[in-house]
Amino acid sequence: MTGARRGELPAFAALALLLAVFPLVAPDSVVNVGVYALTYGLAAIGLTLLMGLAGQVSLGQAAFFAVGGYGQALLVTRYEVPMVVAAGASVGLAMLVALLVGLPLLRLRGHYLALATLGLGIIVTVAATESSYLGATSGLYGVGKPAFGGRRYDSPAEYFWLLAPVVFVALLVARNVVAGRVGRALGAVNDSEVAAECLGVNTFRLRLQVFVLSAGYAGLAGVAYVHWIGVVNPNAANFPLSVEFLLMSVLGGLGSVWGAVVGAFAVELLDEGLRYGIPLVIPDAVGEVQLIGFGVVLTAVILFIPGGLHQIVKRMSRRPTPPTEDPTVPAEDDSPLLPRTGRPEPGTVLLEVRDLTRHFGGVTAVDGVSFDVAAGEILALIGPNGAGKTTCFNMISGVLAPSAGSVRLGGERIDGRKPHVFARHRATRTFQNLQIFRSATVRGNVAVGRHLRSRAGMLRGALVLPARGEERRLHERADDLLALVGLTAEADRPAADLPFGRQRLLEIARALAVEPDLLLLDEPMAGLSGGERRELVRLLRRLRAGGMAVVLVEHDVEAVLALADRVAVLDDGRLIALGKPDEVRTDPAVVTAYLGVDA
Amino acid sequence: MADLLQLLLAGASVGAVYALTALGFVAVYTVSQVVNLAQGEFAALAGLVAISAVGGGLPLPAVVVLAVGTVVIVAAVMQRLTIAPVKRMTTLLSIILTLGVSTTLKAAMLLIWGAEGRGLTPFGGHDLTVAGVSVQAQQLWILGVTAVVAVAVGWFYERTLAGKALRACAEQPTAARLVGISIARASLLSFVIAGLLGAVAGVLASPIYFSAWDSGLALGLKGFVAATLGGLTSVRGAIAGGLVLGVLESLVAGYVDSGLRDAVAFVVLIAVLVIRPGGVLRQRAAAGI
Repeated sequence: MTGARRGELPAFAALALLLAVFPLVAPDSVVNVGVYALTYGLAAIGLTLLMGLAGQVSLGQAAFFAVGGYGQALLVTRYEVPMVVAAGASVGLAMLVALLVGLPLLRLRGHYLALATLGLGIIVTVAATESSYLGATSGLYGVGKPAFGGRRYDSPAEYFWLLAPVVFVALLVARNVVAGRVGRALGAVNDSEVAAECLGVNTFRLRLQVFVLSAGYAGLAGVAYVHWIGVVNPNAANFPLSVEFLLMSVLGGLGSVWGAVVGAFAVELLDEGLRYGIPLVIPDAVGEVQLIGFGVVLTAVILFIPGGLHQIVKRMSRRPTPPTEDPTVPAEDDSPLLPRTGRPEPGTVLLEVRDLTRHFGGVTAVDGVSFDVAAGEILALIGPNGAGKTTCFNMISGVLAPSAGSVRLGGERIDGRKPHVFARHRATRTFQNLQIFRSATVRGNVAVGRHLRSRAGMLRGALVLPARGEERRLHERADDLLALVGLTAEADRPAADLPFGRQRLLEIARALAVEPDLLLLDEPMAGLSGGERRELVRLLRRLRAGGMAVVLVEHDVEAVLALADRVAVLDDGRLIALGKPDEVRTDPAVVTAYLGVDA
Repeated sequence: MADLLQLLLAGASVGAVYALTALGFVAVYTVSQVVNLAQGEFAALAGLVAISAVGGGLPLPAVVVLAVGTVVIVAAVMQRLTIAPVKRMTTLLSIILTLGVSTTLKAAMLLIWGAEGRGLTPFGGHDLTVAGVSVQAQQLWILGVTAVVAVAVGWFYERTLAGKALRACAEQPTAARLVGISIARASLLSFVIAGLLGAVAGVLASPIYFSAWDSGLALGLKGFVAATLGGLTSVRGAIAGGLVLGVLESLVAGYVDSGLRDAVAFVVLIAVLVIRPGGVLRQRAAAGI
C-alpha cells in the first residue's frame, strides 16, 4: 500500500474509454453480462477494501447487497420515494446494519467476522422469507427501470452507460481511500498493529469505518441490481452470491480496487459459460451448477497466484529500484530541536508511574515500580536481561495492561487504555524488536507517524482535493524528519530493504513525527555503528533542549550514564535505584545486580 | 411438561449432531489455527454417500464404513492439496481456501446427487413413548453414538501418544517439532479426525434431518458456534456447546416461532463474542484440549 501512484492517470483514462466503448462493440448478450459485472463489481470493490485494508473478510457480502435491494424496492414501489433519494437511504440502511454487526465483532481478531457475516446472510434470508411485509418467498417486484430527463434506461447498453459512471466514481473513491490517510494507517496496521497503534492509529475505529463503507458498496450494488431486473427475493442474500463476490475480489487481487472490477467481468463470463456449458455435459444438472467453477478457481487462485490478476500485472511492470547513494550526514549543530508551543515547561512532571506491577502466571515481571519523568529530561531505565524494562514500557504505552498500579500522563490516568490513547496524549515509543511497516517506503513509515497530526477522514480522503494539500505538507514534514536521522537518500526505498541499524533510526524518525512530549526508546543504540550512535546521542540532547522528555532502555551502560539526567535501575522486576548517574554508578545494590556478587 | 421434555429431547438430539461437528472444528483448529469451513460439507457428503449405498443394497455396517471412509479420504486429500502447500497460513488465506474447498464440495454434490434433499433409512429399532414423550429410535442412536464418540475422542487426546502429540502441536508448536513431532503429519491427522467426526455426524443425522448438497452450510455455521461457545479449543466445551445450542434452538422453535430456529445460532454467536470471546463453557483450568 505505497503512497505514490504515478502512471495511474492513463489507467483511469483507458478504463473510462473501455467502459464507454464496450456497449458499442459487444453484442447485446455480452453487454447484458457486462451490466451484471458492473453491478456485482460494486459489491466486490467493497469486499476488496475490507480485505485489503482491514485484513478481514466478509462471507455475507450478499446480505448487505440484499438489504440495499430490499430497501430500494420498498421505498420505490411502496412509498414512491424518488429513485435517487431512495438509493441514498438504501445504501445508508446497509451501512447501518454493518455498523451494528461490526461494533461487537471487529474488536476481535481472527475468524469471527467471517463466520458472523456468514450467519448474517442466513439471517437476512430467513427474515426476508418469513416477513410478509417483504413479500415472503416471492419478494418485492415492480421496480421500474430508471428514467432521467425523459430517457428510460431499459436496454442493456443504456443501463450499462448509466452504471459505468457510477462504478467509475466508486472506483475513484475506493482508490483514494486506499491511497489516503485511512488506507496508509490500515496498511501499517497489517504490517504491525502494535506500532501503528503506538503512533495513534485507532485500529478498531478505522476497521469499523472500512467495514461500513464496504457494506455501503454492496448496498449500492443491490440498488443497481433491483432497478435492472425489477424484483428482489430472499435469494439475493444467498450464500452462493457472497462466494461470487468474494471470488471477484480475490481474483482481481487482494487490495486492488481495479482488480475487483476486472475480476467481476471475468467471474461473470465464467458464470455464463458454466451455466451454459455444464448442462451440455451433465444433462440433468439444475440449480447453482456454476459453483463448481467458483470453488475451484477460488482455491486455485489463492494457492497459485495469491495476489490475483493484480499481482500478475505488477510482476510484468516491475522496474528495479535505483541504488541509493551514501547517507547524508546532518551538519554539526546543537541547537534545540522540535520545540512545541503548548508543551509543558521543562521540569514539569509529565509521566507519573506508581506501584506498577505485572504478573505473568506465577511470575512477577514488574513489581511495584514507581518513578516520575519531567519535561526536558532524559531518564534511562537499565538493568540485567529479564529485569522487566520492556514490560514497563509495554504497560506505560498501553500495549499491556498492568496487574496493579497506575500510569498518569499529564495528570490523566492512562493505564489499561489502548496505545493510541497514549499517542493522543502526545507520547509514543519505539520497539526493541523492530516494528517497521515492511510494505511501505521509508517516507511512508514516517507518514504514518503523522496520523494524528493530519485530519483527512474517510470522506475527505475519498474526495481527494481537500486532502491533497495536507498530503503534500505531510510529505514535506516527513522529509524534514528523515533528514534529522540521515535517511534522506533512502526516502523512497522500501523500508524492509534498510539495514538493521537504519531501521532503528527510521523508527525514531517515525516516532518524532507524532510530535511527542514524551518519547520512549527501547534499546535505540542496538545495531548502530559508532558514528550513528554519536549522532543519535546528539539528536537526543537536542530534543531534550527542545523540551521533550525521553525515557530510554539501553544495554550500553556507559553511553547511558554519559547521556541521562537520571537513571532508574531495575532488577528482577523491582526498582533498586533511582538517581543521578554518579550516584547510581556507586550504588552497592546496582553493583551487586550487575556483577552478581555482594559488594 | 411433556411438551418441554419433548423439546429437550429434540434439542439434545440435534445438539449432539452440532457437538460432533464442533469437535471436527476443534480438532483442526487446535493444530493449525484453521477454521475449516468445509466441516459441514463432510457431514452432507457422508449422508449422501450413505443414501446411495443403501440404494445400492449394501447392509448398514458396510454403508457406514463406506460413507466414513469416503469422507476421511476427501478430508485427507483436502489437507494435502490445499492446506499443506501453504507456507505462511494467515487467517484470511485459511478462510478463503477452506471456503473454496467447501464451495467445490457443495457444487460436486449438487452435480452428482441433484438439488433434492433426502433422508437415509433409519438404523432400526422401535420408536417408543415414555411419559408422554415420543422417542424416535434414531434419536437414541444419535445420542448413544455421540456419547461413545465423545468418550473415545476424549480418551484419544488424553491417553494415546498420537493424541498427546496433537495437543503438544497445539500448545507449543516449536517445542513439539524439537521433540520430533511432525507438524505436517499432525495437521493431516487432525483433518482425518475432522473428516471422521463430520462423517459420523452426517450419517447419524441423515434419517431425521436429511442430507442435501447445501445442508452443510447451516450445519457448519452451527457447529462453529457450538465450538466457539466452548472456546474453540476444548473437547468438553465443544460437546457442551453443541448440546446447549441444540436445546436453545429447539426451545425457541417450540415456544417462540419455528421460523426463527436458524436465527438462534447467529444471535448466540454475537452474544458470546460480546460477553466472553474466550468461550462461555470453557473452564479456566482445562485450557487446551
